[in-house]
Amino acid sequence: MVAGGVTWRDRLAVVIGLATLFIVWQAATMLFAVPDYILPRPLDIAWAIVERREQIWRALLFTLAETGAGFAIGALIGIGLAVCLVLIPPCEAVVMPLAVAINAVPSVAFVPLALIWFGLGMGSKIAMAVLAIAFIVLLNALSGLKKPEQGHIDLMRSFGAGRFGILWRLRLPAAMPSIVTGLRVGLGRSTIAVIVAEMLGAYDGIGQIVYQSTAQVDYLSVWAAVLTAMLGSLALYGCLVAIDRKLIWWR
Amino acid sequence: MDSSMATPSIAADHRPAHLQLINVWKRFGPPERQTVAVRNVDLAIQPGEFVTLIGPSGCGKSTLFNMIAGLIAPDDDGSILLSNKVQQDYGLLGKVAFMPQRDLLFPWRTVIDNATLPLEIEGVSRKAARARAEALFPEFGLEGFETHYPHQLSGGMRQRVALMRTFLFERDLVLLDEPFGALDALTRSMMQRWLLDVWAKHRRTVLFITHDIDEAIFLGDKVVVMTARPGTIKCAERINLPRPRAASVTTTGEFIDIKRRLLAVVEEESLKTFGGATLA
Amino acid sequence: MKRDALLRSPLPMLVVLALAWWLVVPALKIEARYLPPLGAVIADARSVWPDLLAGFWRTLLETVIGFFIGAALGIAAGIGFAQWRWLERGVFPIFVALQSVPVIAFGAIVVIWFGNTLASKVVIALYLAFFPIAVNTLRGLQEADPQRMALMRSFGASSRQMFLKLSLPTALPTIMIGLKIGLSLALAGAIVGEWFGDTVGLGVMLLQALYFEQVPRLWVLILTCGGLGTLLYGGAGLIERRFIWWRAE
Ligand SMILES: Nc1ncnc2c1ncn2[C@@H]1O[C@H](COP(=O)(O)OP(=O)(O)O)[C@@H](O)[C@H]1O
Ligand SMILES: [Mg+2]
Repeated sequence: MVAGGVTWRDRLAVVIGLATLFIVWQAATMLFAVPDYILPRPLDIAWAIVERREQIWRALLFTLAETGAGFAIGALIGIGLAVCLVLIPPCEAVVMPLAVAINAVPSVAFVPLALIWFGLGMGSKIAMAVLAIAFIVLLNALSGLKKPEQGHIDLMRSFGAGRFGILWRLRLPAAMPSIVTGLRVGLGRSTIAVIVAEMLGAYDGIGQIVYQSTAQVDYLSVWAAVLTAMLGSLALYGCLVAIDRKLIWWR
Repeated sequence: MDSSMATPSIAADHRPAHLQLINVWKRFGPPERQTVAVRNVDLAIQPGEFVTLIGPSGCGKSTLFNMIAGLIAPDDDGSILLSNKVQQDYGLLGKVAFMPQRDLLFPWRTVIDNATLPLEIEGVSRKAARARAEALFPEFGLEGFETHYPHQLSGGMRQRVALMRTFLFERDLVLLDEPFGALDALTRSMMQRWLLDVWAKHRRTVLFITHDIDEAIFLGDKVVVMTARPGTIKCAERINLPRPRAASVTTTGEFIDIKRRLLAVVEEESLKTFGGATLA
Repeated sequence: MKRDALLRSPLPMLVVLALAWWLVVPALKIEARYLPPLGAVIADARSVWPDLLAGFWRTLLETVIGFFIGAALGIAAGIGFAQWRWLERGVFPIFVALQSVPVIAFGAIVVIWFGNTLASKVVIALYLAFFPIAVNTLRGLQEADPQRMALMRSFGASSRQMFLKLSLPTALPTIMIGLKIGLSLALAGAIVGEWFGDTVGLGVMLLQALYFEQVPRLWVLILTCGGLGTLLYGGAGLIERRFIWWRAE
């Protein structure tokens, strides 16, 4: 579905869908004179984004930087841990229950603790992003690395490949699709984790704009910030899909 | 040259055909990049006959079957007649018992529920459907496996479940697309003899695809050979080996004569596919 | 067999962790600000026991109601998408985009819309659960093998039979994955939803503990949230193993 060629008809359908959404939204809010604090008009939101562009742009970069750093660290931890577990299987009995236990706690419940541990700066947001992504990547990478059948592994062994040879030439390529799936799911989660953490305490970032604007009853700014964040996370998502196609050329 | 081997015995058969194909074509793709999968096929099958269809892989056998089952519409050049009635496009759906190449069992259904699927679709009550299926279990060698799931069965057993499903869909014309293609040689020869027993008892008209010449001769009243793609009928040969046939029939001189003749034709066509592939 | 299952379950590991926590914190003199001693956490839990129970129930209720409504709507939407191709083309990509909206940021607006009641948290939980369930329902329904569809058609199956006997069972494992993602998001949504103003709930207590920097209380709440999560996912896992044990081939 992702890899299939996107035809101009698909694009047209999306554009029509989006246009319908915006026209209905704009028309309905104007027709029923809906106040801004209930639902602002899309054109007003667009204007608010233009007006506050400097503030929003800075906040967006801040949030994206936190998300990116957390994403990279968390992905490395997840993949690295999975590789260790495959190379040294007994570790799984220790690591997996711990990982499952941590994952049973909804990650937002760790936000207050992260703020106390790492302060109001970028550290706490990065920690939340790491937490949001590491587990899902670990799970996906582990199941992917274990995917090759015994027959394939035995074939590699008959060629004289050792553990690392099998890992590098067989397990990692086989695991690529599920690792990338994990990264994609994790990206959305870590964006949300970062913004939630920013809302509870931060010096800058989209979540902080949302928090302050809410406190000042400036809902137009809330919408402006959220829509910008959505565009930002869509751009990140687009990058990941492009990487996905490069990495997994054989599908 | 192509039709030189058509035996007079087929032309001499004047009973009304159960299934008749007249100038059937199937082309895929847009006109500029067209694949002709099936070309100018004429074929007649008598009621109760067991016809085997053999041809190199990719020659259009499955496509032909899909047309007879009503799954895809033939091109407008010709027509398909069932019991002398011309069939509309897709009009054959639900009229022919069709068994595709893979067993296609549903993993979430038990053996018996897989077998009764077509009856359920026809609206037969669950109880009646089960009763009818249960009667067939000993004959299909599946006794005691009624409540097993497909993943618990061997390849041969899965294939028998798929065959039972096809037989429970009681239609006079049965299409079997390489049903034993994935089985090992021993299981396969046992399944062949067993299929002949079942056929002798139920007497349906059977059209059976295979790429194994021995299988085609051993099973069929008539062997039809298709050419390399674009596939058409190259020749047909009536097999007059006595029935019931034992495994030993494959070592008789008569069998070997037929085999030698068919082998020459089939090899010629296979070589065309092979040569085409290396050129392409 | 029973002992094996026990060894593989996280239970013994949790006991080991608790022991480690109990022994290591005093031994290494870890600051209570980072990790309070286990004894302090247990004592704190006993002191807020009634509040904790009330909060647990409240958050559980918000999550479960939001999840079930979200699941019903999500499955219906997924079926609609599978049914009408134009709807899928025009709206589905927008759905995928909306999934990445940090809706939680709209918490304040939702509270304005629905009042400072149970309903506003339910709506946030519902919204979060809805998208992955809708997306996975559509993906699952599209997974049906074309050859099996051809077989069903050769039996003369109607589109209703095709859906009930083939497409839906094929889709169930994928839908189940969506349901589990939706469940975890609904729980997160309920907790965060409470931050926008309420008096009962685990989310409210988390916020209070943060303001007063009560680290042992935070740990009590984290463990309680973990218990709630385990309860919910455990239930979902049980249902899955009982009813949807097959996999797509
Ligand atoms: N839906 C289709 N679209 C395009 N080409 C097809 C389609 N179905 C079959 N073909 C082509 O028709 C030819 C015959 O296929 P098939 O009937 O499956 O062969 P066989 O069963 O004899 O091995 C093949 O070359 C195949 O590529
Ligand atoms: Mg075929």
